[in-house]
Amino acid sequence: MLVLQTALNGLVLGGVYSLAAVGFSLIFGALGIVNLTHGIFVICGAYASMMLFHGLSVDPFFATIPVAFVFFFVGYVYQRYLIQLAVSRASLVASLLVTFGVALIARNLLQLGFSPDVRTITPSYSFSSLVIGGLRVDMVRLIGVGVSLVLLSLMALLLAKTAFGRRIRATAQQPLAANLSGVNVPHVFGQTFGLGAAFAAAAGAVLGIVQPFSPSAEEFWTLNAFIVVVLGGVGSPSGALLGGILLGLISSFTAQYVGPSFTNAVMFLVLVVMLLVRPHGLLGSAFGESR
Amino acid sequence: MMRFLGLAGAVAAAAVLPEFLPPFYVRVVQFFFFSAALALAWNIMGGFAGYWSFGHTVFIGMGGFAAAHLVTALGLSAGPVQMVTGIVFGALFCGAFAAIIAYPILRLRGIYFAIAMLGISQVVAELANNVSWVKGDVGLFIETKLPGDIAPERFYYYVFGGLLLVTALASFLILRSRFGYGLLAIREDEDTAKMLGVPTEKLKILGFVASAALVGMLGATYAYSLGYFTTGSLFRVDFSLNMIIYCLIGGIGTIAGPILGAAVMLFLTQVVLGGVLELHLLVTGAVVVVIVLSMPDGIMGLLGSLTTRKPATPPAPASPEVAR
Repeated sequence: MLVLQTALNGLVLGGVYSLAAVGFSLIFGALGIVNLTHGIFVICGAYASMMLFHGLSVDPFFATIPVAFVFFFVGYVYQRYLIQLAVSRASLVASLLVTFGVALIARNLLQLGFSPDVRTITPSYSFSSLVIGGLRVDMVRLIGVGVSLVLLSLMALLLAKTAFGRRIRATAQQPLAANLSGVNVPHVFGQTFGLGAAFAAAAGAVLGIVQPFSPSAEEFWTLNAFIVVVLGGVGSPSGALLGGILLGLISSFTAQYVGPSFTNAVMFLVLVVMLLVRPHGLLGSAFGESR
Repeated sequence: MMRFLGLAGAVAAAAVLPEFLPPFYVRVVQFFFFSAALALAWNIMGGFAGYWSFGHTVFIGMGGFAAAHLVTALGLSAGPVQMVTGIVFGALFCGAFAAIIAYPILRLRGIYFAIAMLGISQVVAELANNVSWVKGDVGLFIETKLPGDIAPERFYYYVFGGLLLVTALASFLILRSRFGYGLLAIREDEDTAKMLGVPTEKLKILGFVASAALVGMLGATYAYSLGYFTTGSLFRVDFSLNMIIYCLIGGIGTIAGPILGAAVMLFLTQVVLGGVLELHLLVTGAVVVVIVLSMPDGIMGLLGSLTTRKPATPPAPASPEVAR
């Protein structure tokens, strides 16, 4: 029974981790940029959702829509006018440092604006839980997983079925060829980044009810996204889902059977081993030649 | 010769400097020596070979813990022998650890290597915190007995100054040897270098071990200067990041660069902004962004382009043939 409960906890946690990582995965897969601002987007989403909840009593569940919308534009502007500048003036590695620098600035601003305290969003259903055949799931986590699955499917459909998704995939594979076929590559790069940022912020809006957050939690979410991507594979929603679920299972089983203080150690151990054994993740790169 | 005289002058100036500085600034300069030496040690792998490690703080921590555990186990009483033993063992221990993880981890490149190192540093830090005999959570004491009645900040000022000199000398010797040329070749194009007969595997492992041993030496010394330390005071992610930032600001892959970068950043954060601690992250972040965008090759790159600007833009030639 304990095994089942632990596995369920892991699955539920993993569902949420997947959503938080998919934006990072898209940006890394399509643009090759390791976006260290990712955690900031997630945390900003959580704060935005908190403000909407306290100010206008909007349910965090619905807050995802305006938050995603706003952060799409933030991400677009950020990529086109700052990151692209770093890539063209210096190198891809330099863009890593720019995103790191921006993350530091944003974290400091969040600390000044919202104080470094840990916050939570507590809607009416936050302490209820569901019991199925002796297994217990927190309501908020269940909602988190639901939103996660819906949004992940949405992204998968967007990438696979729409003209917009086709442009993103084409640009990721061969920027030059895409350009020759009439795709406005810098614009699509900006849009892709915006999409990644939007998903990160939407994830944050929901995560606010699942887990407490503070400005310094951004590090955790950036690293988490990286681990998920390394486990599952770069660039695809299904890879993010697989990686997230694996990560959730790893951390819940470690917490249960080894000790809660060892979860980070085991997580990073798995990360290192995974990098050594299969650096492209279990599902590999969805964009083929982009790596 | 001019360079040698300049260096000798700088060393002499640094040697008498504590006479004129209040203790707080002696401490700041001491920390500058430590940081600059760390950045130089990181630079051997990150700058020369192009293997950016995001987790070099693991060697600071392992060096410190190894030193403290060894001198306690040997039952050495505080004094010069105990201190030198600890520092040398810290360096050896880190070198050995690096040699063990080198082969698998150096198969990774670019961002994957960087993150794997970050992962390793996190794993080791968590283990140091949670495995009870390491005592990372409750903390460790490492006794120090200073010669004579010298003030601790002045004593460690000279110690770290000496270690910075050692690290700079090691970097210089590496850069001017076949070993260094090999590392540079790896940075420029590893596959081509390998194809041309550069023993890339061997050189990468050697470079990694050298870098780790130097950081271990510095970490052990830092542990002595603290006297009491926990996991949190040695395995600090900001140490790892600062090594990179200093190199980047000064000019990565050079020898003066990391020292210059550390000087600039520490002057900004400790002296100019010492009073506004709550803006540290913001300023560090802004400096990183501005530096990457405005001078991608750091201060040294900027200086280089200033001195070579004239020959780089000759008057427009009449025809391509004449230009050749």
